[in-house]
Amino acid sequence: MNLWLYFWTISLIVAGASFAFITVVVTWKGAHDLREWFSSLNRQNKEK
Amino acid sequence: MNFTAIDWAIVIVYLAASVSVGLIGKRYVGKLSHYLVAGRELGLYLGIATLAATEIGTITFMYNAELGYKYGFAAFAAAMISGIVMIIVGRTGFVISRFRELKLMTVPEYFEIKYSRGLRIVTGFLVALGGILNMGVFLKIEGEFLTIVSGIDTRHIVVVMTIILVLELAYTVLGGMVSVVITDFIQYVLLSVATILVSIYAVYHAGWGNIVNKVTTVMGEGGFNPISNPKFGLIFLIWQVLLWFSVHTCWQTTAMRMFSTKSPETSKRVMTWTGFIFLGRGVLPMLWGIAALTLFGTGALTGGIPAPVVNGHTLAPIDAMPAMLANILGPGIRGIVVAGMLAATMSVNSSYLLGWSAVISQDVIMPIRRALGKGALSSRSQILVNRVANLFVSLFLMFWGLYYTPPGAVYLYLNITGTIFLAGAFVCVIGGLYWRRSNTLGGYLAMLAGAVGAIVPFFFLHWSENVTGFTAFGLAAGGLIIGSLLGRKKPAVSQEPITAD
Repeated sequence: MNLWLYFWTISLIVAGASFAFITVVVTWKGAHDLREWFSSLNRQNKEK
Repeated sequence: MNFTAIDWAIVIVYLAASVSVGLIGKRYVGKLSHYLVAGRELGLYLGIATLAATEIGTITFMYNAELGYKYGFAAFAAAMISGIVMIIVGRTGFVISRFRELKLMTVPEYFEIKYSRGLRIVTGFLVALGGILNMGVFLKIEGEFLTIVSGIDTRHIVVVMTIILVLELAYTVLGGMVSVVITDFIQYVLLSVATILVSIYAVYHAGWGNIVNKVTTVMGEGGFNPISNPKFGLIFLIWQVLLWFSVHTCWQTTAMRMFSTKSPETSKRVMTWTGFIFLGRGVLPMLWGIAALTLFGTGALTGGIPAPVVNGHTLAPIDAMPAMLANILGPGIRGIVVAGMLAATMSVNSSYLLGWSAVISQDVIMPIRRALGKGALSSRSQILVNRVANLFVSLFLMFWGLYYTPPGAVYLYLNITGTIFLAGAFVCVIGGLYWRRSNTLGGYLAMLAGAVGAIVPFFFLHWSENVTGFTAFGLAAGGLIIGSLLGRKKPAVSQEPITAD
């Protein structure tokens, strides 16, 4: 049981840390993606 | 009423901002591929945000917290499998990379390329049926969450559900995938902040030592070891691996995000990084459920687990987590968390509405029109059909959500309704991509056997979820193999990308 508890504790830390870290990166860089995407959609609409 | 003025203000500002931003999306929709697959121009970070927001909803938090409450740390196994399988699919590009190369808009579209138009229609019907039944319980459970945390009278659940649905519909119908992606980005940030806040609050209030002691006392070894837990066991874990491979490759709403990325390489990277988010998506709310068990698990035993008792009222295990939040969160924080959960709710529901209505429109209505000899519709007309399908799906969801209560754990109900089409679809896609001998007869048998193998054992024979799942996948695989060996060998299909947008 102790081994499982260690395993789940480490899994929880890895999962929580990954979740928080990726949230920060995606929030920061996603805004840039969003601007690029809008330009691309505008370009496609003009070409059409 | 648990909500204070500041909580209401936060929620109202979020709702107004979210719907307003969503409505902006309509101006960018010029053709069908904008409406359904965001013009196939999503970059890595936006792709991660929309995929994560699509598959993390209040429903996800509720069913995972329920699993944590009932099965303790052993439930973490299901969460870890979903994340690890997603990382493997992303790293290898298994199915998703080839799908993206084909420039699909829906999963059943592949069935016309590889098999036949008839099989596409059958698959479209089954995908829509399984998907809508799956989504049918979302609104009720989300409504329960919101009424419990905010303290709104439970008799008003229908009003709460209707408001949620109308707000989502407003921007989804008009702006399609463009609106959904824009709102997903905002909603992803907000739901992630709420997830982290709740995790910190839950552990702080329950205490890590108390959490471990409670699981040890109530569940013993089975609360930690998934193999010795009577609900799980090795068979369950193997089924989960199979199920999650099929979900991450063939689930319409996930696949639509892969179709929406800039390139096959981007789709692989989006899937890989979202896999790490999926670890937290499962494990963190399960932890909230265990914290709720620790704080409120004092009632009569049901299946060896004490019922949650909150302020003198005995609740169902699935309601323990929201009741805990209502009790431990202070003014302001409660508003932020509910806004985050609303964000989660709206991102999932809008994406699912779009996903299932796209299948009804593109894979059932359009192919039937062509089979009847009617000409192809213009891009604008196809968008209109999608919008009407969206409205019909919403109406059904209201009805089903009001009158149907799933038996047992919600997570397992969702697994089985998904299996109705996933078993056959996954087998057909694997066969289509990697087995030259697979043919249309095999495809039909796989889809029908997979659906029967999920519906009959679960809804009529009341078999366990594990056995039902294996039966469905086994029958589907058997159907494809037998049908393909018995049927005519199909001439090689080019599987060229579809260019119509």
